[in-house]
Amino acid sequence: MSKDFIQSAGLKLVILAVLFVALPLLLVSLDKGYIYQVVMLALIFSLLAVSLQLVTGIAGLLHLGHAAFYGVGAYIAALAGADYGIGFTLGLPLAGLGAAAIAFVVALPTMRLVSIYFAVATLGIGQMIFLVLQNWVEVTKGPNGVSLFSGIDLFGYTVDSELGIYFVVATIVCISIWVIHRLSHSYYGNALRSLREDDQCADAMGINTVRLKIESFMISSFFAGIAGALWAYTTGYISPVDFDFAESILILAMVVVGGLGSIPGAIIGALLLILLPEALRGVGDMRNIIVGFVLFFSILFLPKGLFGEVPALNFIRRQMGAAWQDNPDKQKVGWK
Amino acid sequence: MIDPYYLQQLTIGISLGMVYALMAIGFTLIFGVLNVVNFAHGEVYTIGAFAGIMAIAAFGPPFLVIVFIVLAVGALAGFGLERLAFRPFRRFSDEASLKSRAMREATLMSSLAMSIIAREAMELLFGSEFQTIDISYLINKPIELGPVTIVNGDIIIFVVSVLMLGGLQWLLKYSSIGLSIRAVSNNPLGAKYVGINTDRTIVLTFVIGSMMGALAGILVGLYYGAVFPSMGFIPGVKAFVAMVMGGLSSIPGAVIAALVLGVAESMSTTFVSSVWADMVAYLFLIVTLVFFPQGLFGARRERV
Repeated sequence: MSKDFIQSAGLKLVILAVLFVALPLLLVSLDKGYIYQVVMLALIFSLLAVSLQLVTGIAGLLHLGHAAFYGVGAYIAALAGADYGIGFTLGLPLAGLGAAAIAFVVALPTMRLVSIYFAVATLGIGQMIFLVLQNWVEVTKGPNGVSLFSGIDLFGYTVDSELGIYFVVATIVCISIWVIHRLSHSYYGNALRSLREDDQCADAMGINTVRLKIESFMISSFFAGIAGALWAYTTGYISPVDFDFAESILILAMVVVGGLGSIPGAIIGALLLILLPEALRGVGDMRNIIVGFVLFFSILFLPKGLFGEVPALNFIRRQMGAAWQDNPDKQKVGWK
Repeated sequence: MIDPYYLQQLTIGISLGMVYALMAIGFTLIFGVLNVVNFAHGEVYTIGAFAGIMAIAAFGPPFLVIVFIVLAVGALAGFGLERLAFRPFRRFSDEASLKSRAMREATLMSSLAMSIIAREAMELLFGSEFQTIDISYLINKPIELGPVTIVNGDIIIFVVSVLMLGGLQWLLKYSSIGLSIRAVSNNPLGAKYVGINTDRTIVLTFVIGSMMGALAGILVGLYYGAVFPSMGFIPGVKAFVAMVMGGLSSIPGAVIAALVLGVAESMSTTFVSSVWADMVAYLFLIVTLVFFPQGLFGARRERV
């Protein structure tokens, strides 16, 4: 084992140790259902923010309806579990694929639009999906929401303790974020960044812009659907209000506060905007107004975000991208 | 002979459409001068409605006085909005940065943040439920017109809106303020070179647009008797749809599109349950963006 490997593996090991050893120990010692909920909410929103980062920060498509795809995933998982007896093992990929399929249908006509027109089209589509969730009572049970009583079944073994659910959520969130990290810090991710900078120029250079936009939109929605399924299984009850426009804005605020184009930034933004309102819960239900103020001041004073794209890329190259280190066994240039 | 039911729906649709038109014009004016979307316009509408009912609760003035109070509050809201959410991001005045995507998206998100703050602050102050309004001020007294029953609100909304729209057209065509607004929306840099105070013009545009938005808010509040902090979001989206359908820069286009939208929405309740009426606006939005990206009445413009 070379020194480089240890250096590059160090941060990953620390993150894994915190997520799978230190945090569970802390949770067990505190033993409060409420803390579990907050921690799992923070994990799920980290995944949502990272998935939105792929499409908004990296591919540069301002997306104002992300929560709708999150909702689609949650509803698919919950309805499959409650009405059709399809468990978590099958329901989770089904939720992701369902959200991605809807994203594909939505993306075909709207991907020709740019900047604000695209943003408004996604707002409209998000609202349409929200209206369907709320008013298609025969299927979605309307404003009453769906209750899901079954625990998480993993290949015949049922997980229903809070700690067990925490481990499942943390594992899936970690794998998903790792996949998005590998996607966005690769040549593929660089192609997406070229769309953001100038999609006409990228088109002229031979990049299939429409296809890349549709793909990034679908990948992002897939992971939003996964996050939705995790949310449905952790709370056991979902209703359309969890997926309205305010949630889309909350996720967007996480991305903007963390820094557009920066994956670690999105995670920091998610943790900040979930944990800060929870910490201030004593003052009253101030979550949305805090989101508003944090969003406004971060645009005003930190337009690049708390952890902007350039420092984030340097950081990831140093800590995560072993291929970039001065190692004779590996290629020196480019992301692997 | 047309079924009176359809005439009934038509009057409701025209009232709705007039309200959307008042709001859409605010959007169109602001988009014209700054080339950015003002997401906080829906909150100006809510602020107008709240100002009106607070005036009623405080000293019960006659209707015309309420209108003027609401207009003044709307003007103030527009001024404050421009100061807080738009001015700080207009650091550079060259053509490239005025049209740059970073600037558009920064103002879009700052106005979004402002709208969240305004809505949540109202919710903390007044609670999220419907506010109580003095019954005698509601404008829903029925008037029989042959087979059709309309309410006096339909007439009031129509008259007030037509007056405001006419006044705006006069202002834009024949006053020096209107001339400078048209100049800035045509070419901000050119307007600056010929000695127009562009900052002042932008503030005035926000003031005029927000006055119309606030007036729409109180008219709808008294028409339906429903005033609550999140009332502005859906009309805001619909006014935006009307602006896009009208072709972004065209005021008559926005008014016609708003009327079409209002009538289509009220007619749609004949065929589907009223909870789906909002769907009509979103469908119009997507269809317009996909098939008529220039809008129905707009001139050609850069790529959407």
